[in-house]
Amino acid sequence: MGTMKYANAVAAVRAMETFLMSRNDIEQLINANSGTELENLIASKRGTGNGEFTMESVWDMLKGYAPDCKELEILLYKNDFHNLKAALKSKIAGREPENFYIRPTNLDLDALYPAISAKEYDVLPEYIRSTAEEAYDLLTRTLDGQLADSLIDTAAMRAMQQAAEKYGGNFMKKYVQLITDCADIKTAYRCSKMKKNINFLEMAVCGSCELDKELLVRAAVSGTEGLMSFLENTAYADAAKLLAASPAQFEKWCDDVIMELAETARMQAFGSEPLAAYYIAAEAELKNIRILSVCKETGSDKETITERMRKLYV
Amino acid sequence: MTNGIVLAILGAALAALLAGIGSAKGVGLVGEAAAGVVSVDPSKFSKVLILQLLPGTQGLYGLLTAILMLSRIGIIGSGAAQLTTAQGWSFFIAALPIAIVGLISAIFQGKTAAAGVGITAKKPEHNGKGIIMAAMVETYAILALLVSILLIYNIAI
Repeated sequence: MGTMKYANAVAAVRAMETFLMSRNDIEQLINANSGTELENLIASKRGTGNGEFTMESVWDMLKGYAPDCKELEILLYKNDFHNLKAALKSKIAGREPENFYIRPTNLDLDALYPAISAKEYDVLPEYIRSTAEEAYDLLTRTLDGQLADSLIDTAAMRAMQQAAEKYGGNFMKKYVQLITDCADIKTAYRCSKMKKNINFLEMAVCGSCELDKELLVRAAVSGTEGLMSFLENTAYADAAKLLAASPAQFEKWCDDVIMELAETARMQAFGSEPLAAYYIAAEAELKNIRILSVCKETGSDKETITERMRKLYV
Repeated sequence: MTNGIVLAILGAALAALLAGIGSAKGVGLVGEAAAGVVSVDPSKFSKVLILQLLPGTQGLYGLLTAILMLSRIGIIGSGAAQLTTAQGWSFFIAALPIAIVGLISAIFQGKTAAAGVGITAKKPEHNGKGIIMAAMVETYAILALLVSILLIYNIAI
């Protein structure tokens, strides 16, 4: 009966899914002639009385229905570690971190900056505690933001992997694996372009059951061609070709492959998977709207906008 | 009071008890799912209510079996019959089909109907399909009820 406890949440999510954008809705948005028309179309799709559609509102809704679901919290680990970066850099630069925070997050943002400033890491959740301490030391010692970023990004992936092992089902494990692999491939590609040394790569790459860390690092150190020929023999052969052609296309591929995973949860009547899938779907939809708005502002043509649109859940 | 009558009463109690527990679980599960949909879209209340009612029938079948049995052994009406132990066991066994099948089918019907609530939430026009799927599970509760009734009325007193 374990998954049955989310019967209420899954049913609510199924009802919420009817307010998500379909392919037809997105096509209508693409055909909008002005920013105002775009906004009006979005507002008419959302309906009245549904409140603002943000990731924060989506998260509040999900947590309202499934407050004790630790598995879902893994979805916010990326934001948590980003917020750690924001707090650390703000501390070093002597700025207020508020504007750099991303919401929703599992962290208590009011306590984060004071905790970093006072080096009271015990206030932070266990999965981020040691990374906060390590990154703070590294940043104050070297003042190298990129190094600290790499350390935190890798720690985020590792924390996600550990949490997925502990709390997650197959869906969440696969989600974390895809997120990690996409991030690792991007990192390895950039590092090979910038001719970073093996020590940096060892720190910046996380590795997964699908993509062996040691082999990926060695391939990246050997150069871009070596990396591409390594990736061609993995499950990411198609992605590697896209990466070589255009990093933007690779980004789209990563988002689409995660959406394909989310689609598998559409057929599930119970469990936490449909809740996670809804969060992923909302994230993709908001990303699409952001891309659309920017493209409209810059006057991109309809073909370019259509090409950049991410796969939809509905 | 003979051992036989005690066994027969135990059978009647089990029929009402187990089938009732199953229905309570099933209706509760669908109710949770239905509340989730109604919290987002209150206009779907009447559609999800039909689905919620479906697993409730097993409890009624259990109650019906118990009343028929109590009436047959005279607890309701003319006074308790003097049953032998063998007759008591027979009544007890007669109650088992609806007691056990009622319990299990109500829980599974609840799961199916809760999944059907998802259909109603996303595609209200296909609500009937969710109802049909859940109603299929009912078949086995009806068969069990039939067997229990046939047994109750064919035990010689």
